[in-house]
Amino acid sequence: MIEITNVSYSYSNIPALNNISLNISKGESVTLMGPNGCGKSTLLKLINGIVIPDSGSYRFDGEEITKKKLHDSGFSKLFHQKIGFVFQNSQTQLFCPEVYDEIAFGPRQMGIIESEVEKRVEDCLNLLNIQALKYRQPYHLSEGEKRKIAIACVLSLNPEVLVLDEPLNGLDPRTQRWLVEFLIDFNKGGKTLVISTHNLEFLQEISNRALLFDEYHSIAADMEMGRILEDIDLLKKVNLVDEYYHEHVGSKHRHFHLHNY
Amino acid sequence: MLLKKVNLQIYRAEKINIIMAEKNIPDWLLKNEDYLPQPDRDTFINKSIRSLLSVLSHIHGQSRHKTDLFGINAAFSLMFTILFIVLLSVSRSLVFIIAANVYLLLVLCLLKAEDIVVILKTSFGIAVFTIIILLPTVLYGNLYSITMITPKVFAAVAAINILSRSTRWHSITGAFKTFFIPDIFILVLDITIMYIMMLGEFSLNMLYALKLRSVGRNKSKHTSLSGIAGTMFIKSKEMAEDTYAAMECRGFTGEYRIYRKFKFSFADAVYIIANALIIFCFIYFGKYLRK
Repeated sequence: MIEITNVSYSYSNIPALNNISLNISKGESVTLMGPNGCGKSTLLKLINGIVIPDSGSYRFDGEEITKKKLHDSGFSKLFHQKIGFVFQNSQTQLFCPEVYDEIAFGPRQMGIIESEVEKRVEDCLNLLNIQALKYRQPYHLSEGEKRKIAIACVLSLNPEVLVLDEPLNGLDPRTQRWLVEFLIDFNKGGKTLVISTHNLEFLQEISNRALLFDEYHSIAADMEMGRILEDIDLLKKVNLVDEYYHEHVGSKHRHFHLHNY
Repeated sequence: MLLKKVNLQIYRAEKINIIMAEKNIPDWLLKNEDYLPQPDRDTFINKSIRSLLSVLSHIHGQSRHKTDLFGINAAFSLMFTILFIVLLSVSRSLVFIIAANVYLLLVLCLLKAEDIVVILKTSFGIAVFTIIILLPTVLYGNLYSITMITPKVFAAVAAINILSRSTRWHSITGAFKTFFIPDIFILVLDITIMYIMMLGEFSLNMLYALKLRSVGRNKSKHTSLSGIAGTMFIKSKEMAEDTYAAMECRGFTGEYRIYRKFKFSFADAVYIIANALIIFCFIYFGKYLRK
């Protein structure tokens, strides 16, 4: 479904992606892991057509995504309907006066009749358990609530692929657990998931495949999640585990720890 | 074999339906959307994204320089640029104005190709605009204004752009201290530049989000854009309040001191000599070759 071949991208001569190649099949759940500034967010932007590769090619559903094609209004809108993006900062996604309008924004544009729009909004509110926020103003809500609304806005478009940039950041443990379970269920429903995070705690539950970025903006490993989490040397190389002294029932020792564990 | 495959697919579909029913996932979310979008004009969003990107990449480019280009002290660059523009403005000698333009073009040659293109584009653009404004004077037989003012405008715009592209803004605001500008004013300028960057990136992401969610015909684009403006206003207010609180927590009492070490290098000496020559040209051509 997503085919990226030898893609490189740089921001004003500062490299962000270096010769990236990957394939993501329909219904897969893939996690992008790596240290800060390694290019995870840029790759997600590329997948969503926000940035266009300097070299290499990106194909979605067999169709190459180019600047020219994205300038074609019809193609661009269909592409954006098929692939939903939840930004790292949810607040940037919310610009309507009320939560209801926010979720209805996409379906209304798709020309869906108002009764069906209402059903979709209600379904999304129920699914994310945010019925109480229906007529609230989005900018006055907490970070976790804004994240749920941002997800609801994207879900109401019924995308085939859901892309989330650091979805667990800034959420309390209960909301994190809720989001993890939701993403698992969503993926089980046949939808494709692409997530970027350095929170290793829930990864094995959400995805069975991991892409590990290194500091040179390349993919250092593309393998099964379990195998990556066991490869301490690799994780240490990309700053995802650390080593420190601490105490376990009286005995002081030193060993590696995965972040957030 | 085929029957087994079909049974497996039915089993999978049933399993998914059971899971979804348990989790209240609605039916429409399990089906692929049969949707053909109607074309709509997104020119305003696209243009806004492009112009914001160009401003932000310029600020990013500025902040990436570890030192000022040519290694010239920012205080000298600022002082002589202002002096240069003043001399240009008061000069009535066409020879001096041409000499000043030649000097600027020489300096321009030392910059990066992309900077040269941007500076020349801007300067020529504004010079052409000046010609258009002054055209009626030519019709009345006054050629003097157009021949004097147009190269002056070109040189002034180029000089400011060269300063902006060769000297970090942080160094320029710091150089104000040499001219006895109050420290608190310099702090406000520094914070303003930082906020332009942060709010610019925030609004860029909002425009991206609007573009990604605009999957059909948007009948009320102005409502979405006013929503973005409103959120930006709230965001800037929150950021201002947070900065104020953080400054109070760090013991800020309204006094702010900026410490800058004054350095003089070989590049400064060369720059001062070049500018002394410009001043000499101004006096010489102004006195003996005035038309």
